[in-house]
Amino acid sequence: MVKLEISPDWNRLGNTQGVIIMKMNKMYHILFLTVFLLFVSVLSSEAAVDIQCPCDMNGDGDCEDVVSGQYDEPALQDSLGVTCLHLGGGDGFAIMADGRPQYIFGFSNLTGIPSANVMEAGILAAHWPAPAIAVNQGEEFYLSLTNVGMLIRPDLFDPHTVHFHGFPQSSTVFDGLPESGISISMGATLTYYYNLVGPGTYMYHCHVEATEHMQMGMLGNLYVRAAQSWLGAPGVPAGDLAECNAPGDQFAGPCGYVYNDQDGSTAYDLEYPLQLGGFDPDFHDASWTVQPLPFAMMWDRYPMINGRGYPDTVNTGPMPQPMDGGEDLNGAVNSQVEHSLITAAPGDRILLRLSNLNITVTHTLISPSIPMTVVGIDAKELRSTANESLHYTTNSITIGGGMAADVILDTTGIPAGTYYLYAANLEYLSNLDEDFGGIMTEIRIQ
Amino acid sequence: MFAVTLSAMLVVLTGSNVFARAWIDGISGTSFAFTAGAGEVSTPDGNSIHFWGYHAPGSNPAGVPQYPGPTLILQEDVPVTITLTSALPFGQCTSIVFPGHIVTATGGRPGVLARESCGTSAAETVEYTFTPTEPGTYTYYSGTQMELQVEMGLVGTIIVRPGVPEQAYNHADTYFDHEYLFMLTSMAPAIHQLANMGKFDQIDMSTRWPVYWFINGRGAPDDLAEPFVGYLPHQPYNCTPRMTPGQRILVRIIGGDQDQHPLHLHGNHFYEIARDGRMLASNPPTSGPDLKRGHVTALSVPGQTVDAIFEWTGENLGWDIYGTPADNRPAHNCIDVAPADGYADADSDYPMEWCGDHNKPLPVALPENQDLAFGGWWSGSPFMGDLGDLPPGEGGLNPFGGFFFMWHSHAEKELTNFDIFPGGMMSMMVVEPPGTPIDSGTAIP
Repeated sequence: MVKLEISPDWNRLGNTQGVIIMKMNKMYHILFLTVFLLFVSVLSSEAAVDIQCPCDMNGDGDCEDVVSGQYDEPALQDSLGVTCLHLGGGDGFAIMADGRPQYIFGFSNLTGIPSANVMEAGILAAHWPAPAIAVNQGEEFYLSLTNVGMLIRPDLFDPHTVHFHGFPQSSTVFDGLPESGISISMGATLTYYYNLVGPGTYMYHCHVEATEHMQMGMLGNLYVRAAQSWLGAPGVPAGDLAECNAPGDQFAGPCGYVYNDQDGSTAYDLEYPLQLGGFDPDFHDASWTVQPLPFAMMWDRYPMINGRGYPDTVNTGPMPQPMDGGEDLNGAVNSQVEHSLITAAPGDRILLRLSNLNITVTHTLISPSIPMTVVGIDAKELRSTANESLHYTTNSITIGGGMAADVILDTTGIPAGTYYLYAANLEYLSNLDEDFGGIMTEIRIQ
Repeated sequence: MFAVTLSAMLVVLTGSNVFARAWIDGISGTSFAFTAGAGEVSTPDGNSIHFWGYHAPGSNPAGVPQYPGPTLILQEDVPVTITLTSALPFGQCTSIVFPGHIVTATGGRPGVLARESCGTSAAETVEYTFTPTEPGTYTYYSGTQMELQVEMGLVGTIIVRPGVPEQAYNHADTYFDHEYLFMLTSMAPAIHQLANMGKFDQIDMSTRWPVYWFINGRGAPDDLAEPFVGYLPHQPYNCTPRMTPGQRILVRIIGGDQDQHPLHLHGNHFYEIARDGRMLASNPPTSGPDLKRGHVTALSVPGQTVDAIFEWTGENLGWDIYGTPADNRPAHNCIDVAPADGYADADSDYPMEWCGDHNKPLPVALPENQDLAFGGWWSGSPFMGDLGDLPPGEGGLNPFGGFFFMWHSHAEKELTNFDIFPGGMMSMMVVEPPGTPIDSGTAIP
């Protein structure tokens, strides 16, 4: 049932000792899954998937309108000022731009899945990066996290958390820092509550054994849209968030405003969250093959934007499945759904919600042809205490790990064509041995 | 449990009248006699690393070279003299540069960046003199073969205080209740081993690969121990930021080595009010830090200093941080009359409580204990000042029921001590319940 073989990938990497990788065929997979589910189910007689969402009537983690009889009604969330989301924390696989599979820990979006089916849906379903979270200022955000366990590493009993990185005035119970708070064990659910008062670009990640779980991929985009986007301000028209991904739309106003600027100076027509990250393949392989983890030797050689290295960043179609010896490691799950191709019409103001969750590198992003106007950093608009704008225009921006920046590219007067956005620390324009890739994406003006 | 209860009672008994300001440990004066020498730095994984450091009379109880060097607390516009003699092994020469100050030097020998000392004789003593004309946070470090000597540990902090010492700068908006230092450094032990053996020709700085990361010379969790402990003779300084709701912490951040260490403060945004000893001001000092920047992560640049103000009240969390009767917590008041600023007045049960969230119960039910893993700093309760039930062996590091937040490098690789997680460049800040006495900092023994 269990095939033992020498992985050619390891030899290609110069591992001459020949590391034995245990691979499981599909039959074994199913058996293993069954045992794993049984194991999780008996972890605790009380452990249960318990999704908390104030407008959820049928236990699937989203809102229902009991008056109208409409079920699973996302629009209801807006009217109630409530947003609910249900994430699973577990494991899975991703594929790198050179075709190499990487074992990952990650989050999956389980919203709308009945609680009885959550474990089955969440196992081996980790996404890279974690599902992007866009929420609105003024809402109450109920974020449930179910630990679905790690199928490939049943020896691990790791709990998980969500750290809403940058959340202002946070508490310990909802900070997701395991050292000072609580984290959720396998088979159970912890619901975080956030009163969203500060607009801007944040990020989220698991903080359990942070160096390991973050290197393994439990990282994602998270941003809070400003209320001015739908309320407007004196002399500033409201935007229309439905237009945020429609290049060259006919709507006269903007999609939204990054901040409640009161003067319209942070207006944008298109919105792209771009999160920088990186994988160290030795670390991921060591985790996959149950080897000691190389913390000290950690060296990120797969630099990525939103979980992909160039040219995959501009691939708007589905990514190929991570394969190993003819086996689809992810089953049916497509784990890397976010591309980073930026498409705009001349005159569009493109908002880049930049964040860096690489855990070894401070990155400088450069846009050589289209000037960048930096309007905010770390979810704070650049304003003086006298309310003077401190926005500035540049062609590069440096963001360390755990930093975010709101950058607007004004395409007025920019001729149609393809432009580039890339890491100015040029060694990160690579996908391991491939020397043209990594942190780069395209801006297509058409 | 008895000790915990006693501590809680002490808080109640002493009330909110107790206020002591936490200062950064260091030595003050106008004349300092530095010696550069060698020693061993202890790391939390049980290793020890040969290092070079400065010491001065009274800078640490053991009278030995220390890592980082003595923190000098200076006064604006008061001239200072620092003498340096080199007791480094193998007759190594050394010097000091003081970025941001206009320095005159005498004695010793001419060097590239500064006059150097190459021995312990009187003739080899260099004397540096300068007048710190601008308040703020500065650094000093070796100006001789600095790529190696800073790695070896020859780096330290200078704090220049304005006339009003509880301000960072000459403006009331830079007031602080407590100040804490974050001198960020790292070490690559292979270099130190070669230096220990005198094999300087084999040291290749281009292959430097740090595996230890430090705040104020200690890797976590050693940085959370008391300052000046006997078991860390060469590492006198700690890093344990504490405050109560509504207080202001001044965080002095220094990029002390050649790398960038993005320092992320959990808990709230902070405001960068100054860089390199200059207020972010349109018209300093009159305007105050009107160009201050809100951040959650400080991009710590090599050689740069950043002064930041951190505050925390829990405002707008959407629930009462002290709990409500619906949460099985006692009822309490929230009097917001004078001043009517949204925060509880000093005569309220919990001063500086955000009254907008008063009496709002916790919006979600927490999982049962058997479904959770607990941190050592978790009190067992989501509410400030409360201690909940925990399984045996859990918690225990949070006797007052405060809110602990990690302040750490967000280059998370640096949260390790040579392959061992957790550790490295990490500290735990705590917001204690109102009235909790905050250590005033340790006087130099």
